[in-house]
Amino acid sequence: MSTLRVLFSAAALIATLIVGAADASAWEPKQPISIVVGFSPGGGTDIIARHIASTAQPTIPVPIVVLNKAGASGAIAAETVKNAKPDGYTMFVAGGSESVSIGNHRKLPYDVRKDFTGILQITRQRVFLTVKADARWKTLADMVAEAKANPGKLSFASAGAGSSYHSIMLVLQKLAAVEMKHLPYQGGAPAVAALLGGHVDVSPHNPEETQAMYDAGRVRYLAVASDTRSPILPDVPTLREAGYDIYIENIKGLAGPAGMPQDVVAYLHDKFKAAMESDTFKRLAAQANLELQYRGGKDYMDAMVAMFNQIGKVVSPQ
Amino acid sequence: MALVLQTLLNIAEPLNLLALMIGVIGGMIVGAIPGMTVTMAVALSVPFTISMGPTPSLLLLLGIYCAGTYGGSISAILLNAPGTPANAATVFDGYELAKQGKAYKALLMAIIASVYGGLFSALVLIVVASGLAEVALRFGPAEIAMLVVFSLTVVGVLSGESMAKGLLAAAIGMGMATVGTDPMVGTPRFTFGIFDLYDGFAYIPLLIGLFALNEMFVQAEGAFRTGGAILPLKGADPEGNRVTGEDLRRSLVPMIRSGFLGVFIGILPGLGSAIATFLGYAETKRASKEPERFGKGAIEGVAASEAANNAVTGGALVPLLALSIPGDGVTAIMLGAFLIQGVTPGPLIFIRNPEIVDTVYLGVIAANVMMGVVALFALKPMTAVLKVPKVVLYPVVLMICVAGSYAIRNNLFDVFVMLGAGVLGYGLRLFSVPVPPLLIAFILTRPLEESMRQALVSSEGDPLVFLSSPISTAFALLAVAAVLYTGWRARRGRPLPTE
Repeated sequence: MSTLRVLFSAAALIATLIVGAADASAWEPKQPISIVVGFSPGGGTDIIARHIASTAQPTIPVPIVVLNKAGASGAIAAETVKNAKPDGYTMFVAGGSESVSIGNHRKLPYDVRKDFTGILQITRQRVFLTVKADARWKTLADMVAEAKANPGKLSFASAGAGSSYHSIMLVLQKLAAVEMKHLPYQGGAPAVAALLGGHVDVSPHNPEETQAMYDAGRVRYLAVASDTRSPILPDVPTLREAGYDIYIENIKGLAGPAGMPQDVVAYLHDKFKAAMESDTFKRLAAQANLELQYRGGKDYMDAMVAMFNQIGKVVSPQ
Repeated sequence: MALVLQTLLNIAEPLNLLALMIGVIGGMIVGAIPGMTVTMAVALSVPFTISMGPTPSLLLLLGIYCAGTYGGSISAILLNAPGTPANAATVFDGYELAKQGKAYKALLMAIIASVYGGLFSALVLIVVASGLAEVALRFGPAEIAMLVVFSLTVVGVLSGESMAKGLLAAAIGMGMATVGTDPMVGTPRFTFGIFDLYDGFAYIPLLIGLFALNEMFVQAEGAFRTGGAILPLKGADPEGNRVTGEDLRRSLVPMIRSGFLGVFIGILPGLGSAIATFLGYAETKRASKEPERFGKGAIEGVAASEAANNAVTGGALVPLLALSIPGDGVTAIMLGAFLIQGVTPGPLIFIRNPEIVDTVYLGVIAANVMMGVVALFALKPMTAVLKVPKVVLYPVVLMICVAGSYAIRNNLFDVFVMLGAGVLGYGLRLFSVPVPPLLIAFILTRPLEESMRQALVSSEGDPLVFLSSPISTAFALLAVAAVLYTGWRARRGRPLPTE
């Protein structure tokens, strides 16, 4: 009986595989594939696109083109892809502020909840609440307590109004019932400078932005806005552990326009997933300080929408 | 010392020198093409450095960075088309000199000033890097705001014969800079629902339109008036086309002043070389006994702006090395290139990787020397571009203008911005409204708004925040003094004229 069961299971598995393979081979790209990047060449998002494209290229019979369409914090690229045909030839690097945050702050020509098809998630970029090493708070609770006692006195920097970094602080303020001043900067680097110069009290940052200053003992991390602790910085508690249900970070991956046929998505997913799992890509990712995280297309889309909705509960578009 | 010597020998290895040379030549070419930015060139080279060692990759990138910042002056002088935003002020006198048949002289002065600016900034980087970086951190929103207010007073210097027209131009520039997303709350302003305007007008297409396209309109107008023949530039004047001792004497103090200004602006994150160039140019004019020569081919105008923008390079490397904070787009990408080599810039780099620090120090010096050598060979042939008949040259330049504007963000919208700016520039010229105040006001408005509002948020609306630190108070007083000085000169009957 149990042998029979195993046999049946095996047969079913093989059948699935064959069908799956047949499905995947049902679509083959005939013209160049573009990956649109919403930021300038050389930035973190551009590097992810170029590395995954160069790694996947040998397995795909048509050229993969990385196209930089910088502007509106990545939203111009998202708009371009929303308006493209869902034929598998156009996708963009999603999962940043343009996908999970900005739409909650202002009107955008796309809606992340319905305008895109997720293909796969490739990396995650955690966000740490960073303070100067000599800050008077040992823990997040200390800081929240002070913010409660002095509403509107503490200040935070962000990499831009409406960015995920800004939103994390907005959600935290709401959940902790505190009020802080917001000083937006044009990107993460000037925000780090403002923090180090003592012009703001706290600033949300990706670890690579503050790595050197952390190593030199000049900044500390109070908490990380992830679902789990970072394997590299296991001593930093998550915001959830501190009692605030916030899980917002950059989850970079590929997404195309809504309504892509299943076989097209499967083809692209399988090729890029294989590329992501290759040693070449792992080596490139390690060099670029990328933390890899895989999610399948649907899970990826769900994760983005979940983050978007967390922010949406607190912020409404103007 | 032994380490320095070893680094020097390392740099002198043929393959490393080759990497440097490729970087320098590539940087000069990219810099000279309007719309191709140094940032883009550095970004596209980083993937090639993955398999190289640290020395050749740093040399390649530093070569592109230094030479690219210089290269924009070539097209600024020869074609009235600044190759990068950092060379905008070079146009004012550089192209005038070219029209007078003194292109070679202007180009030569540009490379002398650029090499000086680069070497001076390298010296500052080497001597005081970590100390200065800490000073830069003390520039908070209030300090930056007052620095920008002081910078805005150069509008008075750049206004030319009519202060009213200068202020009008500045008002147009400021107005244009308010288009786009509000920096504090993120609300779109004056975008009329055009999504491409969310970032405001892109600076480079604006620059190309206001200068290069505008100049083509003017040439075309001349051609219509003279019945078809496009006005030839004056032939090269062998006598006036040399850099004389007198020219060097005139340019010495401006170069030194611009060197300091450039390094200073470079060290502060987020301001950028375009502001440094305008400040260097305007301060030179302000200090000059004969300000009326500016805009008509004053050689020290070229020297001042080119020394300033290359001095930014070493300055911008200061916060990158000492604090791991990139001050502009190029150094942001360089940070990535360091990481690829397994080196993290920051306070510990001086202890953990002194050899990398020395390579950067000597690399900047080597890049500037190499840039000078390459330019000396290339300058003469470059002036040949002026011998190309205008009917052939201008369509090609126009094509580059269109392609360059598109290439910035791969966005057709920017091409229309460029075309619109060309029409605007031509219109302003018809009413003799000067363009420089428009540009400087456009560049300064966003940092001004951002820093002022940040300062007011942190002070909870108290305007005294702008006088709360010695640094901001000093810049506020300087701004007042600059305005009074301009007024005083005007009353003495010696206004500060331009064109």
